[in-house]
Amino acid sequence: MSKQFQFKLVLLGESAVGKSSLVLRFVKDQFDDYRESTIGAAFLTQTVTLEDQMTVKFEIWDTAGQERYKSLAPMYYRNANCAVVVYDITQSASLEKARTWIRELQRQADPSIVIALCGNKTDLSARRQVTEEEAKKYADEEGLMWGETSAKTGEGVSDIFMAIAKKLPLTAPSRAGTSRTAPGARAGVDLNKQSASVGQNDNCNC
Amino acid sequence: MHVSLLGVSQNLSSQLEFLHLQILSIVTASQLRRIFERRTNFDLRRLLDGTETFLHSMLDRLEFDLAMATSSLHCLRLDPMVRKRVADTLVPTSKVKDILYVILIARGRVVTLIRPKKHSIHPADIHILMNTVHNPSIFNSPAAASWIPICLPKFNPNGFVNAYISFLQRDNPEEPSSAPSPSSPQSSSSASVTDSDSGTALVCISGGADFDTIRSWCDGVTQKLTNEGTLKLLSDCVRSGQAEYTVSELGIPGLRHFVYKSRAQVQVTFPTFEDPYENLTDRRRIITFYQVLHDAIHAKSGQSETLKLQYIRTEKESVMGWITQPFEMYIALSPRLPKSAVVGAANAVSRWVKKEEGRLFLKDAPVF
Repeated sequence: MSKQFQFKLVLLGESAVGKSSLVLRFVKDQFDDYRESTIGAAFLTQTVTLEDQMTVKFEIWDTAGQERYKSLAPMYYRNANCAVVVYDITQSASLEKARTWIRELQRQADPSIVIALCGNKTDLSARRQVTEEEAKKYADEEGLMWGETSAKTGEGVSDIFMAIAKKLPLTAPSRAGTSRTAPGARAGVDLNKQSASVGQNDNCNC
Repeated sequence: MHVSLLGVSQNLSSQLEFLHLQILSIVTASQLRRIFERRTNFDLRRLLDGTETFLHSMLDRLEFDLAMATSSLHCLRLDPMVRKRVADTLVPTSKVKDILYVILIARGRVVTLIRPKKHSIHPADIHILMNTVHNPSIFNSPAAASWIPICLPKFNPNGFVNAYISFLQRDNPEEPSSAPSPSSPQSSSSASVTDSDSGTALVCISGGADFDTIRSWCDGVTQKLTNEGTLKLLSDCVRSGQAEYTVSELGIPGLRHFVYKSRAQVQVTFPTFEDPYENLTDRRRIITFYQVLHDAIHAKSGQSETLKLQYIRTEKESVMGWITQPFEMYIALSPRLPKSAVVGAANAVSRWVKKEEGRLFLKDAPVF
């Protein structure tokens, strides 16, 4: 009988490094040359099967990379079992940003979180600014998984997710996320404090 | 950016107002204020990075959206029993905390809207939501759901709420789910405003940040809508064209088009644009007329007093704006009709709407 495990995975990284494209390749095996920026965060799932009949269902949070959404990130990584921090191999600044995310995860996320550093856009290696050695060395120092991918060609994409699936502790069905609720990074609105009478006449009366 | 060329100052300021609200929905008023207090020359584009399409689609809407022009809610015409079935399914249980509004949208119109007893929703917030939900970054996303912080400026200009958006159906003809999409940078913008508003979306606005609870609740009600056949009833209704109507259904001689706003319900209804308003130039002209009339009966451009009724006749059509206690109406008729027949037609429209009210408007939606 097969066992299913469920894990929460969050994608972080600077905007336009290809987070959504990476997920689209992983989940639907598709690629779009043109993608709109992600707004807020998008939720997707994908199930992979490991050799020994075990299946791992990833609940994936694809977050928006824009600075504007930075304060929302804890809401997603706080309950995550794994994180994929993405940089663009043709933009060395994006690796710097990735380092910042990793430091934040190491400080704030669950200590058992599995972190993978992922260099995307290997199809553009002619314009490479980040060498494999440099990224690998950093990943080793920090004890992170590391891999390079091309969401465009598909190269390395399933490898990195499979590697994560194998690394996750497949011992007991995961309970992450169900026991704790993430305190919102942005304060929620207290519905009871709002006065309902503001502009009452303009409101639809349905 | 372009602002549609209407020589009406009120219209321009209303367009700017909507753009402003759209920007607030992304950054909130307090954040905007803080930024400009600190640096008066701040380039807002930096903060709006990635959301330009929201402003573009808002501009497209402003040109043709009669619900926005009349500050009202536009519902999907629907059998009241179907609407009630949808609504009953969407009433949140008391276990799901922090839910503010639950809205089901089909073809860019509201099917139903569930709200807490003490909070009604301002039409402008609905329009902002509608523009957000149908934004390509959300509509075209392969995601099962999006979870976005949004400020509903009429609800609270200084804070974010979270919107869970999930498309139950994307009736986009060019997207058979498995085909590798060749994807072009969307030939969007231009004419087809209504076409971009396809699909059926469940939108749940929450004051809290607990995505998992909201998601499992939304998954549950989606299952229920599907299993009980309610979703199919709804999509059959949309596909069969019953959700739209043409002016010929009213059988009023000389009547070409109208916009009827129920003032008590702050909701609007109008037939599809057809001949002679099929092409964009003619449609722009009649919408401009509606705006002129709207402006006059509300004295929005500094007129000394409001008008109860205004009648304009040109060689192409005669139009009339009329405001009474229960409704506001804008009608377009053949220019050959005498004025008395125009008034007669307006009365006939109002009688027809009264008779059809149950299907045209959202009434008695459950509150919690």
